[in-house]
Amino acid sequence: MSTDIDLQQLPRLSELFKLFNAGKHLNRLSDPSLWVELEQSLPAYTELFKALGYELCVDGRGFAWFHNEEVSPSVSGQSRQLALLFMVIFDTQADAGYSLQRFSEWRVDRKLIEVVFEQHQELLIAEGLEVDELLALLAKAETFGFARQHVDYWELLPAVCRYLDHFEALADHLREQGAEQDSGEDEDDMSDTGGVS
Amino acid sequence: MIRYGFQRLVLLGSAGYQRAELPLDDAVSLIAPNNTGKTSLINALQFLLIINKQRMDFGSHDDSKTRRFYFPNNSAYILLEITLPQTGTVVFGCVGKGVSYDYEYFAYKGDLVVEDYRLPEGHLVQQPQLISHLATRGRSVYRYDASEFAKRIYGGRLNERRSEPDFTVFKLENSNDAQVFQQVLTRTLRLDKLASADVKKHLLQIFRRDLPDRNINFKQVWDEAFHDVNADRAQYEAANSQLALIQKMESFYEQRLSLRGKLVVWQTRVNEALSQWQDYYHQQITSLTEQEQMLEAQQKQQTERIKQLTRSQGDLERTIEQLEKENREQTQLQSRFSLVSSRAVMELQLDAIKRELYRVSAVLQQADGRTVAAIERALSRQKQHLDTLKQQKKNLDDNLYRSLGEQLSAEELDRLNRVLSEQAMVLSSEHFRVDLTELKRVLATATADRVELGGLSLSVARLQPGHKQLTEAALDEQIADTERELIGLEAQLAAAQSMEATRHRKQSLENEVQEAQQALADYDRLQSLLESAPERELAFQARTQELHQLNDELERFSEHTEALRLQREQVIDRQKQLQDQNGRIDRLRNNRLDLTEEFSYLKALPHHPWMAEEVWPLDELANNMRTFQQDCQALNQFNSELKAGIRELHAGGLTRFQYSEVEDQELKRIIEFSHQLPQEREALEKKARSAVVNVTASLRELRNGLLTFQSKMREFNRLIGHRRLSDLKTFKIEAEDESHLVEAINVLIAKAEQVETGDSFELFNQESVLDDTALDRAKQILIDEGNARHGLKVDDLFRLVFVVAKFDQEAETFQDIDSAASNGTVLMAKLVTGLAMLHLMQDKRHKLHAICYLDEALALDGRNQASLIETAHEFGFSLIFASPAPLTTVRYCVPIHHSDGANHISRDSWQMLEPLNSEGIR
Repeated sequence: MSTDIDLQQLPRLSELFKLFNAGKHLNRLSDPSLWVELEQSLPAYTELFKALGYELCVDGRGFAWFHNEEVSPSVSGQSRQLALLFMVIFDTQADAGYSLQRFSEWRVDRKLIEVVFEQHQELLIAEGLEVDELLALLAKAETFGFARQHVDYWELLPAVCRYLDHFEALADHLREQGAEQDSGEDEDDMSDTGGVS
Repeated sequence: MIRYGFQRLVLLGSAGYQRAELPLDDAVSLIAPNNTGKTSLINALQFLLIINKQRMDFGSHDDSKTRRFYFPNNSAYILLEITLPQTGTVVFGCVGKGVSYDYEYFAYKGDLVVEDYRLPEGHLVQQPQLISHLATRGRSVYRYDASEFAKRIYGGRLNERRSEPDFTVFKLENSNDAQVFQQVLTRTLRLDKLASADVKKHLLQIFRRDLPDRNINFKQVWDEAFHDVNADRAQYEAANSQLALIQKMESFYEQRLSLRGKLVVWQTRVNEALSQWQDYYHQQITSLTEQEQMLEAQQKQQTERIKQLTRSQGDLERTIEQLEKENREQTQLQSRFSLVSSRAVMELQLDAIKRELYRVSAVLQQADGRTVAAIERALSRQKQHLDTLKQQKKNLDDNLYRSLGEQLSAEELDRLNRVLSEQAMVLSSEHFRVDLTELKRVLATATADRVELGGLSLSVARLQPGHKQLTEAALDEQIADTERELIGLEAQLAAAQSMEATRHRKQSLENEVQEAQQALADYDRLQSLLESAPERELAFQARTQELHQLNDELERFSEHTEALRLQREQVIDRQKQLQDQNGRIDRLRNNRLDLTEEFSYLKALPHHPWMAEEVWPLDELANNMRTFQQDCQALNQFNSELKAGIRELHAGGLTRFQYSEVEDQELKRIIEFSHQLPQEREALEKKARSAVVNVTASLRELRNGLLTFQSKMREFNRLIGHRRLSDLKTFKIEAEDESHLVEAINVLIAKAEQVETGDSFELFNQESVLDDTALDRAKQILIDEGNARHGLKVDDLFRLVFVVAKFDQEAETFQDIDSAASNGTVLMAKLVTGLAMLHLMQDKRHKLHAICYLDEALALDGRNQASLIETAHEFGFSLIFASPAPLTTVRYCVPIHHSDGANHISRDSWQMLEPLNSEGIR
């Protein structure tokens, strides 16, 4: 691979860097033009970001982010809450018989969040999360590129796969172990491993 | 059996090799420590096989450096011997030209003999002499520039020189694949560098013919398909939202049609009537003036007659009044003289009074003329005089005068006498006192004609002396005279008093005479009145009757006069009306509103025929003209309302009919359109459905491309699948859907299928295609993605993943081939993939062995090496492994020697390994 990087060929470098550096995920679905830009010059971007000390991760399912091993406590806290939010949403939807892989087709609106809250009341109240807080968390998720808001609902973006992958891995793990663990530990696990970075 | 294909690579004076001779007809293990020119040797093949400088890949080295490295002078050679099925053994060569490290190509038929390039003295032949030199060796050499040479190698179409042998090395299934083939081939020389992205790119290029090569600009496709629908929909919505306005305009439009019809007829009528009006007006006015004059004359006559009658009436009334007055006088006199029997009685009374008057008058004529008052004054004076005289006589010796006369001088006495009254001078001494000294001093202080009394000073010159001293006798005499006079005066007074009464009597008698005379005259008057009474009665009756007749006549006349007046007023009114009408007509005629252009062709404009009134009289021209003007105004109003309405409709987006020839036509179409809205909506829906179908045609093409590609990939996987790669149970490359795009396409195609089958009509009636949110979302995803990529291609719809499964393990999916397995396995996977790709491109009828190069070959164990050699062989390639130590799985082991600052590979140092079983030798 050539080590010569022509910055003229990377017209949206600053935009991409700002986005990733803010801890946001880039989704092909929600930002196709930026995605194409990244895709077309991926080696150059990867190398450039690497030189700057950032590890650019690109998932073929259509999202990219900066991987960061060191997560600040506040981000970790937010990640933990987001993990919980997505977990309860996935749990609710799985119970309702929806395919988890097709989460981007769901309409996450207040009605759904109310159902989610009702089904996980105990856990959520223990975490200090009620319906309004959950909706606020969705707004937070948007800043990380996990969701986007439409007129009357939220759409989960492909980057949520990162959480979903972890949930599924955990589920497999649990299945294999055949052991039951309480959900509090699950969450800690998730936020440690699947944190936004 | 001859094995067609690459035989030998020879480098002379190039890439740091003084001389290198490498066998290419079977698997080779190129042995040298790292960094001693193994890769440079292999890369030299790029000049002969890739040819196009842009496609050659020398890693980080730039073009000029590379050329200097390979062609330092004009006796640097890269030579390749290939046995071609169609031509036999040929040599391709690339020789430096010395100048700016450039090089040129040549080719000839024959074996590669290194000695051909050496001069007798041992030097290498220089490029300018090469052709002539080779000719001396019986070689017929052809020179080429890069592009000509490439065409020879890849069998491109060109005007071949007839005598020229067929130098085609790579016969491709399709000559258009040359570029891809070269790219893959470049990679094949360094297959370890094959990256996932390259795999996708190359596979797409390889399968390109089976895929739609269209780059679908979905937005454009969508916009084109929906252009009309959207335009129609915009028109529909613009009309629908402005329906109220259109309905109002429709009403105006209808009214305007009627009004135009009316005005078409009326305009003609107005013009006709106006041309007749002046004559009519003058005729009417003249006739009315005549009538008026006639009536005026009649009125005057009447007035005269009435004046006459009124005068007669006054006369009669006065006559009657006189008669009545006389009757009243008669009645009064009758009552006054009712007790008088005859005139003689009254005459007797008058005579008696006259006689008495004569007697009294005679008495008065005899009487003195002195009045009673004068006599009484004289009497009083005489009595006073008598008193004074008597006082003088009584104080004759003792009075003031005498006393003063004795003591004062005469002059002094005279002065005092003039001041003091006679009565004072005759006062007795008891009534006065005299201070003589004082008196004399006072008298002396004054002059002879003045007297000083206290503060009073009098002049006495003009005063008469008050007292004259008489004698007693004189006094007695005077007293007797005075007493006589008093008696006479008293007699006169008595006589004078009786004369006054008589005079009163005379006056009263004179009055009585007068009254009696008047009564006599009145009596005579009564007699005369009584005499004329019957005559008067007759006159009274006659006059009264006359007066009645006169009054009747006057009354009749006043009625007649009133009638005349009214008649004349009417005529005047009519005149005024007519003049007024004429004035209005004049004004209207000068301000006609039907003079604008439109009215000149009103008849030609659409209108409803006017069926109302047939004719109108000239007399109503003014009113009709006013109506006409109002109608013209109304028409103009409609025109501007409709114009404004159209502008508003345009602004509101209803522009479909704006290019109609005339406004009326546009209006009519708009109105008809507004009536057709429900049908329009239905048609719109149908159009939208067919637009969906149209749009999906290109999407189907894309999706079919994806499906084709996926099926090609299955074939490809079969090709590589039966090679066992290291410890892998499974190795395949799959095209995984970019699900959001593929699903979006599926949504649209499914919708189109629903539309096409037709049984979704019900569904569409309830939920319009135009408002389908899923459809909209799918469309938006495709548009966004298409915009970002400047069009959608098949390759945007999938990503390649490498599916790898080790024995006893679940298959795993990797996006990056490098992360899929251990180094050796990855290397094998890459080789298999690359070789399979080249294999796919080559013409299977033209079997020709090429080579591929693998660095770091020690990463593979012997078993894998053997397997790889086998696989490569099947695909038509010989493998060249590079490693610091020899491999035993190959046919040739070729070490690189280093001496005198240059690398050497001598044919003599080739070590050929052969199986013990001689049958295995090929």
